[in-house]
Amino acid sequence: MLNSKAAMLGFCLSCALGLSAQDCHIALRGHIVEAGTGEPLAYASVSVPEAEKGAISDEKGYFVVADLCENTPYTVEISHVECDHFTQVVRLKENTEMDFRLIHNAVLKEVVIREKAIAPAPAQPEQQVDEIDLAASRGINLGETLRRLPGVTTLNTGLTISKPVIQGLHSNRIAIVANGLTLEGQQWGSEHAPEIDPFSAGKISVVKGAAGVRYGTGALAGAVVLEPAPLREEDGMGGWVAMGGFSNGLGLVASGALDWHLPSSTAAFRLQGTAKKSGNLRTPDYYLGNTGAAEFDLSAMAGWGKERWTHEAVLSTFNQRLGILRASHIGNLTDLQLAIDSPVPLNNDDAFTYGIERPYQQVGHMTAKYKVTQRLSDKWKWSGQYAFQFNHRREYDVVRSSGTAADKPQLSFRLWTNTIDLSAEHMPIGHWQGGAGIQGIQQTNFVGLGGLIPDYRTAGASLWAMERWRRFPNPWEFEFGVRYDYRRTSATTSGSLSNIDTLVHFGSISATAGVIYHFRKYLSATLNSGYAWRPPHVNELFARGVHHGAGTYEQGRPDLSPEKALNTSLSISLQKERLDVMLTLYHNRIRDFIYLDPQNTFILTVRGAFPAYFYAQSDAVLQGLDGNASLPFAKNWSLEARISLLRGYRLLADSLETPANDGQDWLPLMPVDRIQYGLKWSLGGQANDGTFVRLMAATALRQTRIPDEGLLKDAPPAFTTIGLDAGHTFRLGTSGRSLEIGLSVQNLGNIRYREYLNFFRFYADEPGLNVGLRAKMAFGG
Amino acid sequence: MIRTTFFIRPVALAMLFTSLTFQACKDDDTTTEQENITTVEVHLTGPGMDMKFYWRDLDGPGGTAPVIDEITLPAMTDNIMCHLHVYDESKTPTDNITEEIEAENVDHLFVLTPTGADVSIASDDTDDNGAPFNLETLWTTGSASTGTLNIKLHHEPTDKANTASPGGETDFDVTFPVKIQ
Repeated sequence: MLNSKAAMLGFCLSCALGLSAQDCHIALRGHIVEAGTGEPLAYASVSVPEAEKGAISDEKGYFVVADLCENTPYTVEISHVECDHFTQVVRLKENTEMDFRLIHNAVLKEVVIREKAIAPAPAQPEQQVDEIDLAASRGINLGETLRRLPGVTTLNTGLTISKPVIQGLHSNRIAIVANGLTLEGQQWGSEHAPEIDPFSAGKISVVKGAAGVRYGTGALAGAVVLEPAPLREEDGMGGWVAMGGFSNGLGLVASGALDWHLPSSTAAFRLQGTAKKSGNLRTPDYYLGNTGAAEFDLSAMAGWGKERWTHEAVLSTFNQRLGILRASHIGNLTDLQLAIDSPVPLNNDDAFTYGIERPYQQVGHMTAKYKVTQRLSDKWKWSGQYAFQFNHRREYDVVRSSGTAADKPQLSFRLWTNTIDLSAEHMPIGHWQGGAGIQGIQQTNFVGLGGLIPDYRTAGASLWAMERWRRFPNPWEFEFGVRYDYRRTSATTSGSLSNIDTLVHFGSISATAGVIYHFRKYLSATLNSGYAWRPPHVNELFARGVHHGAGTYEQGRPDLSPEKALNTSLSISLQKERLDVMLTLYHNRIRDFIYLDPQNTFILTVRGAFPAYFYAQSDAVLQGLDGNASLPFAKNWSLEARISLLRGYRLLADSLETPANDGQDWLPLMPVDRIQYGLKWSLGGQANDGTFVRLMAATALRQTRIPDEGLLKDAPPAFTTIGLDAGHTFRLGTSGRSLEIGLSVQNLGNIRYREYLNFFRFYADEPGLNVGLRAKMAFGG
Repeated sequence: MIRTTFFIRPVALAMLFTSLTFQACKDDDTTTEQENITTVEVHLTGPGMDMKFYWRDLDGPGGTAPVIDEITLPAMTDNIMCHLHVYDESKTPTDNITEEIEAENVDHLFVLTPTGADVSIASDDTDDNGAPFNLETLWTTGSASTGTLNIKLHHEPTDKANTASPGGETDFDVTFPVKIQ
């Protein structure tokens, strides 16, 4: 428990910043309990021989050792008449509170401890992608990595363009937070994938439900949180090189990181890069023409410190070219109907190639970030962060090749974002731990001609505060947070930012409240309520044009009001040795939910008539159940299961609509009910620190709950795919080198199926059998 | 003093990076080139006849509805030569797309389908491979009647012989009212 907690905390980046010349005013707060019963141990004697300091735990098992030096290994020795002597080596980075569980004479490995006052969502359902899934899927893309979690699926435009969907909601309704920075791209588009390299993250987790207080207005329905592995603590060099290959599309991926901690200094650096290339994917029966992809990402991180100051700087660049299935490029409704009626894709180049032709997307994202933190006292610290992001998306359509259009994109979006964050955080004061902060954001979006959405500028400010109460051994834990956001957007519908003709502004409060009850050490229940909002996006306000992928004409509505979500969830978590069960029930009521409302008219265009969809608002309810279980039933064997159930419907806005279904209508494009189940065989304690084989089947039911009107009517039938993952880690000598090899097989049965949430289901089947092999060599560990 | 130095360095670095970014995209393909077919012209010539009929949607999909002329033809007339023109009138000067289509005649096919009106339409040209193209057609009218004429332009058709379903994608799909009197 201590180990895993420390390891988890260690993931947060800033802790890894090599710290400074010595600061010797750090306090270690501890709570001593008896490991078996969880009972606090009073009057235990604590000594830190290196510092010649000691303490005695109080009646509740608490103690404090003050004035310790940072970044110095200390041995914490605890003895108690009823227990064996306990020894733990710790290295403190800042004021720390930790649990000590007295067990039989345990001498554990040295751990680096740090605790953030604003911890990641403790009272909200949070799920981390486990090591096996991360290793097996990060070579594909972020969406593929996340969809293995219960309650998370993806909205796809083919396999290469994959957006995460959390409990039924996606795009502008969830935030993607990488290394403490919310990704700012053209998130509104359903065929705009997140600009994230999963290899850059050491840990990927998903926070479900209204997370607006922590992650801002984008996080109406949740957040995907990526954190890099900490920078190197020890002097010298380290790092890893990973290679992978996939049989389907003959994909190759190479990634590597080099870590360097300057000798006898606090400065540490990392250079990390990833390159990917893949060609046309293949379904069981044919190749999918023009579905290749290429990607190159690079990031550099540095951390250093002096006295009470720590600094962190990050530069990163992400570049991707994604081919789009040629057969999906259609001109009008007749073409779409022909494509839907045809069992095989029309106009498809059924051959393998790495070449990417039009239509394709070329996306670049650059980030520069600087963060400074100063420890003010043994309780308080403040930090400031400035970040710049530039997102450049170009979409190349099929055009007549002569003329000037030949080498130019048909759509181009450029988005510049500047953000400033200031926050103050504190360690427990009267058992309350938390912080407050302000944030400023400024954005300029330049679309250029014919870009579906107008050019705009946005400025915004936010103010937040968050506190958590926890007192051992009290089984109750509480969390409260509140935030205010203001956004002001000036848009131009005439195509020039010097000619602003529309101004909209929104401001509102978000709040969260959570309570956790710890029945036992291994069993807890969490009830959380969150209130979050989201201003309507520019595309919902001002869009006007034909959405060719869907064969619809879409028109924005300039007088939309913000969406407001009230999300309540109840989670039960049971974790005891190898047994791990988590069940979450949620209910999300969204007032003024923005959706595309089918009109009973057609808009006549030069390509023929398209059914009209106007943006509209009415209240919506999304509720469901997510669960996962890992049940050990024999030595080395366990049963694994994951389930996601969701019902999403809209309350009919007015009497003009047909009052069918008791005043409700199903929401379109809601994830289908999905169950994953299988067997895992493993040697060794931790998943990736040994040998494992896991066979999992995934069954997706047919979506029968679809709106009465609309073209997206026919949902594909239910299907079951089988996947296999296996891995083994070799320790190479004592130099800390290790080699991990892995095998992952997707769609083992090579079955034909189509996914409801894939826009390409109109045109083609999903990819067939895919065998992936990977190897990762770590050195200097 | 030392603290200040630490502050400045990364900020300067970030600014340098920022300026590089801006620089990089300035000379990049910042302009987009989007072709909007706004206008289809049906130019009919024959003995004592020179008429132009237009299908026009200058502001693109949505907004103001397209303006569509009614094609009026004399009854019982043969050898009416039809020449189609395609324009993007949202650009200045007007982009004559007909020239590009003609240059790539192998990759294009016009399909003209009359309904109701008593007019028969015959091909009067072929592409560079000798396959149908139909930029130019010969019309013969019968008795007085009314109906419609649908004109489609298929881009990259896979089977030019099958005019009902030639494949590829539809560049335009417009329908004129027709009156033969």
